Amino acid sequence: MNAAAKATTAVIVRRMIAATPEDLFDAWLDPEALGIWMRPEGIRHTRAKLDARVGGSYEIIMQGDTQTYPHHGVYQVIDRPHRLVFTWLSPGTEGLSTSVTVDFFAAGQRTEVVVTHEQLPHGAHESHTQGWTSALERLAEFAPAVTLP
Amino acid sequence: MTPSLVFHTFTLMGEYKSIRLDAVFNALGDPTRRAILARLQTADARVTDIAGDFPISLNSVSKHIRMLERAGLLRRTVTGRDHTLSLNAEPLAEAAEWMEHYRRFWEGRLAALEAYAVKNQRKRK
Repeated sequence: MNAAAKATTAVIVRRMIAATPEDLFDAWLDPEALGIWMRPEGIRHTRAKLDARVGGSYEIIMQGDTQTYPHHGVYQVIDRPHRLVFTWLSPGTEGLSTSVTVDFFAAGQRTEVVVTHEQLPHGAHESHTQGWTSALERLAEFAPAVTLP
Repeated sequence: MTPSLVFHTFTLMGEYKSIRLDAVFNALGDPTRRAILARLQTADARVTDIAGDFPISLNSVSKHIRMLERAGLLRRTVTGRDHTLSLNAEPLAEAAEWMEHYRRFWEGRLAALEAYAVKNQRKRK
């Protein structure tokens, strides 16, 4: 999929960070590092276990006050320090495999980190990609008719 | 609202919503179905009127309509023989909300990644 098509399919978040692409990239594949920064508000601690190889899997368990939120997936692209792609499943995705791509762009002394989270079913469902792409384009089109609660 | 409650809500909503989201995105992934929705945006219409708009069989149009109904995007009112359809935009709002939740999640994580990276650099210096 090209970058232009991608831009319309997903949740995209970017942030310029004063660190090298290598340091930031490694923070995604280091269980100890993940335990520190992959901890949303309200989570007491995060435990990460991972096999940092293409085809290797990871598990990130976020422990809240009363509930546990398990996340898991498989690494699909590990291209240090440019790009990381992995599947992302959690109770929030209801067993659906979503896809997360993290890109690292060096910009002088800083690095832009871009996270693209797509609800792309993997494997056999690859042919649906086009459908999802246009679906989300249409979502924006219909948005004016939508009243957010 | 306590912080834990925020995350709790987020996850529970994600659980509930992802089921319907799949149907919504699948329903939107077809030009005929999008055209049906577009038409119903301006006014309600009868199934037979909608079928007349498209160069495909009534049977095919009915199938598309059923998919849209399954996704919760259409409401059907039956008066005698007339089946009138109207647009229900609520699932679209849920889809937009789902995306908004993930946007916020990743924004928070990248902010934390920055804090982590900056702290780490100071340690090394």
